[in-house]
Formats: sequence, structure tokens, C-alpha cells
Amino acid sequence: MDYFEPKTVSEALSLLAKHGAEAKVIAGGTDVMVDIKYKEEPGCLVNIKKIPGLGAIQENGAGLRIGPLVTIRELETNKLVREKLPVLWEASHQFASLQIRNTATIGGNICRASPSGETLTPLLVLDAKAKIAFTDGEKTEPFASFFQGPGKCSVGLNGLLTEIAVPYPAPGSRGVYLKHAVRGAMDIAMVGVAVLVTPDAAKNSLQDVRIGLGAVAPTPLRASKTEALLRGKPLSAGLLKEAAAMAASESSPISDQRSSAEYRRWIVEALTRRGLEQTWKATTGKEVA
Amino acid sequence: MSITINTTINGKAVSAGAEASTSLLEFLRDTLEYKGTKLCCNTGECGACTVIYNGKPINSCVTLAADANGAEITTIEGLADGDKLHPVQQAFIDTGAVQCGYCTPGYIMSVKALLDRTKKPTLEEIEEAVSGNICRCTGYAKIVDAIQLAAQKL
Repeated sequence: MDYFEPKTVSEALSLLAKHGAEAKVIAGGTDVMVDIKYKEEPGCLVNIKKIPGLGAIQENGAGLRIGPLVTIRELETNKLVREKLPVLWEASHQFASLQIRNTATIGGNICRASPSGETLTPLLVLDAKAKIAFTDGEKTEPFASFFQGPGKCSVGLNGLLTEIAVPYPAPGSRGVYLKHAVRGAMDIAMVGVAVLVTPDAAKNSLQDVRIGLGAVAPTPLRASKTEALLRGKPLSAGLLKEAAAMAASESSPISDQRSSAEYRRWIVEALTRRGLEQTWKATTGKEVA
Repeated sequence: MSITINTTINGKAVSAGAEASTSLLEFLRDTLEYKGTKLCCNTGECGACTVIYNGKPINSCVTLAADANGAEITTIEGLADGDKLHPVQQAFIDTGAVQCGYCTPGYIMSVKALLDRTKKPTLEEIEEAVSGNICRCTGYAKIVDAIQLAAQKL
């Protein structure tokens, strides 16, 4: 196996162009090392950890620019992430173990494009965007269209994720990330649900609502029909029930060793209900009536 | 492809060659003969291979050995001062927190890192700090006792 430590993004891109499908990008290594040990060694490994400028969290106007080499622990312990992006903070806090959070990077979690990737549904509901570098230029893509299937995303074989741009949600909004797993720590989510709610100025109705579903389809996804059903309405008990059931119907889970598809749909329903209830209460100070 | 790794292990400068695909765990155990760090799941799930990397606990099995270049690494062998055990090691003995012992070095490294960053950890902080370490003898209560004792002694 060949091994490279490029010092710039363009050097990394030339290596990826030259080695094509033989090349594997590695950062934290928490997924790639397991593949090397248990699946197969790639023809060459491109370690991007030595590229300067990809590991910072910066405030930029009304949002954060997060470098792909930022570790999950750095996200978890960042004051701005905790205060301004609690939905992303909660996902980082519930991410694997401390040891893994100390090495795993947000860029790795994204480019792995696993439907259960912990940070992905928060990025979807935050309307975050990926900046991707290619040899012939850069492109910015919303995460809404970034994920194409398990392990497949817009970065492809030749691109490199260089930045994650996360706008702050509207003032008065609240997000939650709810994860269902057997074990509190270390476990992969059977279902992950991110909910972000913005009430209207009078706090009577849902001006904006975004629901992200993880581990229940080939990619993390937004429950857009459910969002449309809720938008502009006060959250009544009847509407809450209807919305939770609709979110479950928007998911298309598989059965695997972690749970059956049927069980996953029940959990989507339960977590969507819980997430909407919590965010409605937190933003309006009202019970669901 | 073989690469040269220049690193610092337990305060000692070390230079050695390794295949590029080598994990830090394999480098420590097989190249440098530091056998205290344990190989168990080899997927970053059990914590038996925990070492302290630039002050932070990490799973050495899913870390590239090449990333040890220029880093400071502490393993279980680096804790005792001659024959005098580190207070965390002694606390595990005093409270009977060791059963089969295989997970113990990983636990002790996680606890050392915890007590380096938090002098008086709460029960919640203790549980979080070792939530990535699994003991299949399931002696968790005594391990928590050991951590609380070590925190008092340090």
C-alpha cells in the first residue's frame, strides 16, 4: 500500500486524480482503519491530516464555518456550537465514545455517508452546505442533495470536502437531536431524528419546522411532507399524532441486526412526536393542546 | 510501503519503521514491544487499546501509526514511577476493580486522562469518561469506586 501526506488541498486532489479508485482518503481513521483491518487495504492511502487550514471552527456572519478535520470532541466542547447549534451539539455529545470523539472528524462522518451518521440529520435541518474542491474548481452544495446512497456522496472519488458552512437558525428557534440505541454510548443509532422548530412572532404557530430522519433510508433525509403538513399551524395533539405517523411513512427503513424495519418505523413515529413536543414547548412555552 | 515514525512514547524519543497500514496499536505492541496496551475488538469499540495521544484518550487500534509522528503518547507502561504504582493503578488494586484484567490498562488510561483534565469529577463525568471502555467481567461498580478513590488520592 502506498502512503501520502499531502500538504495542500491541490496536492491531495492531484493524488486522488492520479490514483483514482485505488486511493482512499483518511483523516481520523476510525472508519478507514476498520476497513483496512477487516475488509481490504486500498492501493494507496491519502492522509489529509497534515493539510493546514482544515481544522478550525470560525464564526462567519450569522453562522459557523467548520473545517472537515474538526474532531467530534472539538465540536462538542466548542462554546459557539453549544450555544448556537444545540442540535449539532447534542449529536456530537451522543457520538460513540470519548476516545472516538477525540479522533473522528466531522468531515469523515459526512463523507462516510452512512445513513446513521450522527451529525448528518442535524446538518440537514440546519440547512448546512458543503464546500467541495475538485481539480477543476470548487462547488458548494446543500446537504439536502449531497447524500446519494450508503457510502455515496457528491465528493465522489476525486473531490475533497474543504468546509461545512452552517447558518445559525432563526432567533427563537430550537432544535433537538434524539437517538434511539440499545446502549447509551458507543452504539450506532437504530434511528436518529433531528427536529428544528421556529414559531411565529406571536408564538402561536409553527412558522418553520424541519425534520431530519437518520438510519431509516439509504441516505439521511428530510421528512418534507411532514414539514409541509405542520408549517403555519399551531401544534395540536391531533396534528402531532398525524405528523408523527406521516414521518414514519416517509421513512423506508431496512431490517438488520440492530432492529426490524417495522420497529424502526415505530421509533421514527415516537421520536418525531417527542422532538416536536419538546421543541414546541421550548420555543412557545406552551403545552401541546 | 514502509515509513519511518518519529514519536515520543512515555517521554522517550523513539524512531522506528512500519508498514504504512500499521495501526498505532500494532506499532506499540509488535514493533516497540509495549505489550501493556491490549488488542481486543480492533474496531474502536471496546477501549482495551486506549492510550493518551497529545493529552487525549484515543483508541490506538483505529489510529494510523503514521499519525504518531511528532506526537506524544503515554501508555500504561509510562504511569508507574519505578516500583511505585501510579495512584490510579493503586486504586484499582485497593478497591478490587480488576477481575480478569484484560480491560484494565485501557480503563486506567481513560481514568488518567479524566483526572488530568478534571480534578474532582462527578459521577456523571466518571461514567462518561469510561463509557468507551467495556469490561466483560462486568465489574463496573468497583471500577467507579476505584476512580473515586484515585480522585481523592490525587
